[in-house]
Amino acid sequence: MARSLMERVTRAPKAEPILGQNRVVARLLAILTWVVGLLYFFPLLWLVLNGFKEESVASGDPKLFFEPTLDRFSDVTEDAGNTLSFTDAFMNSFWVVLISTVFVMILAVPAAYALAIRPMRMWRDVLFFFISTKFLPIVGIIMPLYIIGRDLGLLGTRTILIVLYTAMNLPLAVWMLRSFFAEVPKELIEASQIDGASLMGQIRQVILPIVAPGLAATALLCVIFAWNEFFLAVQLNSAGAGTIPVWVNAQQQFQGQFIAQFSAASILAIFPVVIAGWVAQKRMIRGLAMGAIK
Amino acid sequence: MAEVRYEAASRIYPGTEIPAVNALDLDIADGELLVLVGPSGSGKSTALRMLAGLEHVNEGAIWINDIDVTLKPPQDRDIAMVFQNYALYPSMTVAENMGFALKQAKVPKVERAAQVQEAARILDLEEYLDRKPKNLSGGQRQRVAMGRAIVRSPQVFLMDEPLSNLDAKLRVQTRTELADLQARLGTTMVYVTHDQVEAMTMGHRVAVLDFGVLQQVATPTELYHQPKNRFVAGFIGSPAMNLLDVERTDGQFRLGGLPIELTSEVGDAAAANSGTTFGLGVRPEHLEFVSDDSGVNGEVSVVEALGSESFLHVKVQHEGREELLVVHEAGDTAFGRGDNVSIAINGPIHMFAPDGERL
Amino acid sequence: MTDTVVDDSGLDDPSFVDEAKQRAEGVKALARREGWKRRLPILPALIFTIVVTQIPFLFTLFYSLTDWDISSIDPREFIWFDNYASLSNPGEKFFREAAWVSVQMTVIAVLGSLFVGTGLAVLLDRKFLGQGFVRTLLITPFLVMPVVASLLWKTQMFNKTFGVLNWLIESLGFEGIEFASRFPMASVITVLIWQWSPFMMLIVLAGLQGQDTSTLEAARVDGATTFGIFRQITFPQLRPYLELGTLLGAIYLIQVYDHIEVITGGVGTKNLPFWIAQRSIGGGNLFGLASAYSILVVIASIIIANVGLRVLSNLLEDDS
Repeated sequence: MARSLMERVTRAPKAEPILGQNRVVARLLAILTWVVGLLYFFPLLWLVLNGFKEESVASGDPKLFFEPTLDRFSDVTEDAGNTLSFTDAFMNSFWVVLISTVFVMILAVPAAYALAIRPMRMWRDVLFFFISTKFLPIVGIIMPLYIIGRDLGLLGTRTILIVLYTAMNLPLAVWMLRSFFAEVPKELIEASQIDGASLMGQIRQVILPIVAPGLAATALLCVIFAWNEFFLAVQLNSAGAGTIPVWVNAQQQFQGQFIAQFSAASILAIFPVVIAGWVAQKRMIRGLAMGAIK
Repeated sequence: MAEVRYEAASRIYPGTEIPAVNALDLDIADGELLVLVGPSGSGKSTALRMLAGLEHVNEGAIWINDIDVTLKPPQDRDIAMVFQNYALYPSMTVAENMGFALKQAKVPKVERAAQVQEAARILDLEEYLDRKPKNLSGGQRQRVAMGRAIVRSPQVFLMDEPLSNLDAKLRVQTRTELADLQARLGTTMVYVTHDQVEAMTMGHRVAVLDFGVLQQVATPTELYHQPKNRFVAGFIGSPAMNLLDVERTDGQFRLGGLPIELTSEVGDAAAANSGTTFGLGVRPEHLEFVSDDSGVNGEVSVVEALGSESFLHVKVQHEGREELLVVHEAGDTAFGRGDNVSIAINGPIHMFAPDGERL
Repeated sequence: MTDTVVDDSGLDDPSFVDEAKQRAEGVKALARREGWKRRLPILPALIFTIVVTQIPFLFTLFYSLTDWDISSIDPREFIWFDNYASLSNPGEKFFREAAWVSVQMTVIAVLGSLFVGTGLAVLLDRKFLGQGFVRTLLITPFLVMPVVASLLWKTQMFNKTFGVLNWLIESLGFEGIEFASRFPMASVITVLIWQWSPFMMLIVLAGLQGQDTSTLEAARVDGATTFGIFRQITFPQLRPYLELGTLLGAIYLIQVYDHIEVITGGVGTKNLPFWIAQRSIGGGNLFGLASAYSILVVIASIIIANVGLRVLSNLLEDDS
């Protein structure tokens, strides 16, 4: 494949699609695609609509048009005594996700360098090892983690989640970053060596500018997975430093009765990651495809 | 300005037995343009990279100006290199690309700008200084790569097939410019190419490599007229020298039945050699057509008419096999495909022993 | 004859030989140092991963050899392989049921999302008005946290009283269905496919866009039909991407927990992770027994992983 994977994934679809040479067929297919897209998105659309409804409106017959209100949002964010509040959960999620992602990048960037640019002798085996840790079912270690957490007094703290999320995302980050680093042409680095650049100089001036988009995409994916994680958060943490997924799940007791309220809570919970994913869409697709395929 | 010396230098890749570069001994004089040429896999690029410090030297040593640089990293060798695909830094402008090395050496900004400006002037790049590599044509990128090297005033220039990615016309033009530039700057240059025409036109001396072993190093003229072995004979010269296996019959060698006259030196050497199958080489321009049947008879199969000269491929019978002889004619040729012709030798021939060495 | 000028005179000089030996040593030392410089950067990540994932695993192995019940005051005793032996007990059919649920759920969800994802990718692989917008719509389900997606479907789609699906069904005159209780597996799998198809879509899209236009054009010139082209040219080229999607999807889908917890609470849909969690930290407290189960799950995962890694190494081969 002559073109680099980066080029392939980000340029516009080629003029020769699989279906529809015929102009009419093409038009029909475009319409079909729109319909499919809207239908596919419908549940989320419904969620968003419900968040702005009065409870009575939401629990009645499905309505598309109504008088929107922001009351549900204030309902879910008001302090509810000693149950986990939205603000607390948000702050917990925020810090856990931020710090674990930073740790992941700090560990994964050198690792990717060691696997791609100056590959160590058994780099393939090491890469396999990292990937194989992802195959290890979390149930395989949840019990010791619980015991260790309990004995170290880490249950219900942000720390234990930060450590575990870092370990959870590290294989993915190493895999993706390695493929981005591997795209840096070897001669470029050699040229910079001949031009007298030190190791840090090579990294800072030559390598980083090229892999920067890849770094961003990887970090974003780590943020998404960490923000959305539920199992570890609820098993090890719900008592103390509950995260947003835990908070949303706690709203479940309102199911059926308070659909609008739950919807508002959900919107608040998914809002950051969805917006981030939308904005960085192209980068993420590039990153996913590249990290996945290479 | 520097002398370069390869001293029995070898590069053996870990896990392999056969060296990529095998005990290379090469002395390069100050200010010389030495070309390393050979087919792919011959080790020429590897030898260059050993000089650059990009490959470990497993055995032997490399010297630049009486300093043993064998263990020194590329940063410390004061060399500049132009890569085959230029390796320009994509996120930097032309000016920044060219000034990069000076920046690493902590040259103050003003001085840096002046040197970059000067190099840009020499290479006609002044109007492109603010552009990024992706907005340049192939030829322009090549010149930026050259500029990056010149700006540093290094001891040695290393060129790894710098013209291979240019189209044919541009290649010929740039080749002369490059040779001219080197002559003006007077800096030692080690130049790698697989194109023997490039080697012959540019090099003060040319070193021919095959399978990591130095075959011969000499001036182009000497390589052309006195190839040391069969490989060099067949590699240098375009179109290639006619090379045929010949058997010794009754103490004599024949080309398609025609007896070959050897000089007394060569004849003695041949007689002393106990082998049976020797190599006979004769360049296309040293063959001519004769109107009688006194030469080797054959049938024309392909005619290459170039206008200034013509090359005719003639099928002949030689020692029971069909062989192809390429004959050179100045200007246009009267012959065409299918014609019967007779070929005689009117120039020097080259005899090679069964082991390939020149007799 | 210009041979290279080699100063042979000093070759037998002992100091020269020493020099050469020193140099050879120097090169070897350099190569060794280089080897370490290459390994060093990966050590932090490697050590961290081993400490956080492998060491707890050893603990699990240890627990599995005991009869530990963390809620009881009896001391923990070594019972060696009794936990494993108990699996042959007819009473332990729950383990086998959970395993079967795991298999079903993973296979159907992976294949389903692969199928849907490919379909979406094929539709999306063309230039039309708003292509970017539709793509944005389609990837969103993947970004939504599983807890929200599950709750969303449970209360607003599947729910008998409030669900949209039921509203549709009732408007058509049929009796409403509480999907989550009537069809627990289908409900969970539906949500899984809804969330994971976009992921597959992206992978397949990358594969479709990497196709060589000239091959496709040649096929058209040769008179192939659209389906023919898809079947004989596109599909084979897509295979590595499909395989990769399967592999990655399987890795994540084998471990599904959130959806089960939220949509059915476990009724009828206990897969292995869920069931083991229940038996241990979820209130079962039987750490010893549950550990044995999870070891078995790990062994199975390793076997599957080996198959998967062979696929991966094919992909990595192409890379090098």
